[in-house]
Amino acid sequence: MNIWKISLQNLKSKPLYTFLSVLVLSLSIALLIGINQLKASFEYQMENNLGDIDLVLGAKGSPLQLILASVLHIDNPTGNISYAEAKKIAKNPLVKSAVPISYGDNYKGYKIVGTTEEFLNFYEAELKEGQLFEKSLEAVIGQSVAERLGLRLGDKFLSSHGLIDNDIHVHDDEFVVVGILKPTQKVIDRLILTNLKSIWDVHNHSDEQKHNNNEVSKDKHEHGEAHEDHAHHSHEDGEHSHDHSEEHLHEDHNHSAREHIDEDKEITSMLISFRNPVALLNLPRRINKDTNLLAAMPKFELNRLYEFTGVGFQTISWIAYIILFISGMTIFISLYKMIKERAFDLALLRTYGASNFQLVKMVSYEGVIIVILALILGFFLSKATLYILVEYIQSGPQYDVIQNLPVIEYLNIIGLVFVMIILSIAFAIYPIIRLNISKILRDEK
Amino acid sequence: MISTKGLRFKYNQNQQLFNFPDINLSASENLLVLGKSGVGKTTFLHLLAGLIKPQSGNITICQTEINKLSAQKLDKFRGQQIGLVFQKNHAIRSLTVLENLKSRLYFSKNQIQTSVIEDVLKDLDLLELQDRNINELSVGQLQRLGIGMAVIHNPKLILADEPTSSLDDENCSAVIELLFKQAQKNNSNLIVITHDNRVKPYFQNAMTL
Repeated sequence: MNIWKISLQNLKSKPLYTFLSVLVLSLSIALLIGINQLKASFEYQMENNLGDIDLVLGAKGSPLQLILASVLHIDNPTGNISYAEAKKIAKNPLVKSAVPISYGDNYKGYKIVGTTEEFLNFYEAELKEGQLFEKSLEAVIGQSVAERLGLRLGDKFLSSHGLIDNDIHVHDDEFVVVGILKPTQKVIDRLILTNLKSIWDVHNHSDEQKHNNNEVSKDKHEHGEAHEDHAHHSHEDGEHSHDHSEEHLHEDHNHSAREHIDEDKEITSMLISFRNPVALLNLPRRINKDTNLLAAMPKFELNRLYEFTGVGFQTISWIAYIILFISGMTIFISLYKMIKERAFDLALLRTYGASNFQLVKMVSYEGVIIVILALILGFFLSKATLYILVEYIQSGPQYDVIQNLPVIEYLNIIGLVFVMIILSIAFAIYPIIRLNISKILRDEK
Repeated sequence: MISTKGLRFKYNQNQQLFNFPDINLSASENLLVLGKSGVGKTTFLHLLAGLIKPQSGNITICQTEINKLSAQKLDKFRGQQIGLVFQKNHAIRSLTVLENLKSRLYFSKNQIQTSVIEDVLKDLDLLELQDRNINELSVGQLQRLGIGMAVIHNPKLILADEPTSSLDDENCSAVIELLFKQAQKNNSNLIVITHDNRVKPYFQNAMTL
């Protein structure tokens, strides 16, 4: 028998109150952990995935969308651009490197990115095993992709069309894994890289197929659907007419000359880094004005995004603090009430030889047990919620986006919760110190 | 061995001053204190238990002048040397019968010996009920547990405040007999304060306030 055990029995004797206190407190803890983790992940993504990318060239549309798609690889691209036109801009002497990327397919939800070797330099990625892609349909995969899909060197897989996993539009061309990258903790971990030609080959082939299908069926609805599928991108925003005409162009050139050199090809976007940041002052504005390309600056766009979302994070943080405060009040009130209601029990304990300090400990331990239970529950609640959020609302492969919170952040939250509980207890135990045993025992008769 | 000398007590300035007669009990001598309500019976008992301090006078229990002890020493002394029985006995409500007896020993810093607890439970006829919660006990059972809580640590002095007032005749005699038996067993002084005349025949020593 000791004070811990008595405190535990006290809590057990009022299960509903204990349950509610733990639940409310754990909710605020889960919110605090969750929001901080999201924030930390967000900041990490921004700081680590930009690499040296100063500018992204893409199809006209939302600059933010272009950045999310081409730099963080979490959104659909805005559309396609002419490789030749992008190359023209890349010839500018201020450009240090210009890396084209081309989207179109995925394998089990992991995006397949057609690009050049230079893409790896942005992320300081190195090969763990195998070699870089050389020929069409050779793929180098990121660490997460290899781990999660269990792919090894020499494995073959069929890509599906579009950026979301589906079984309906599966291409016939088989990719073969020729290299696996070392883990980088960056976005490249969850990408499948191949050369540009692979993307073009796969799509020329299937475009032709689809076109044939359209001719056979002559169904207007189906035609429209196939037409949409055919594009390497979604039409989520941007000028529809523009996209439309571009598609026709694309289609036309597929028909006329499939074996054309790179200059007639299309890419999704081009990632550019400059020799000198001065280029950022003028070049993007000129590109946006004089060409039909969109030039977006990742740092600027993500800062803007961060400003928007910052308000959201702030709001949720405040809500979490308010819930924390309320749960502190709840615990204070119930401890205080318990002390008032059980004054006779406490006086009785004093006649048994318990000191004031022991009674204070008894009440404090009740609070501490609630906090410990709430911390454990809150921790798992936040993990579970984030997992569900990422795993089911978004698509599976993006779980790695969530960063683990540094220990110091957890300690901050735990510290905050303990400060709150100590305050609650401090206010609640005041009646114990003033306990007039004689009066309570006499009044109870 | 209990003696008091010139005990005076006053709750506050406007209230009456209680003047208590001196008592002098030798080892294992018992005393019944009678009196109408309002004459300060409970006050007298609380003075003896060291729950309140007298205005003047002194109380000596086994060579210890308790009115001169510090608050902490008094807590300890009370826990180890005095057992209190009340009219309505509330044991700790969140604990079982057994846990209550154990916590009593824990707080008075006595060793928790299973054999001692079992003995008391047998005497109280509560052995089968040891794992019951307090709110599952009848009034008589609860009063017996109250006595157990007052004697399990082998006190020098057992103080009972109206221990029989809420009990029927049958339980009343059972409780008084139990109190006597336990006092005798522990070789301790028993002081019962009551207005319940049913208790009178059991005592040789009686005093009216």
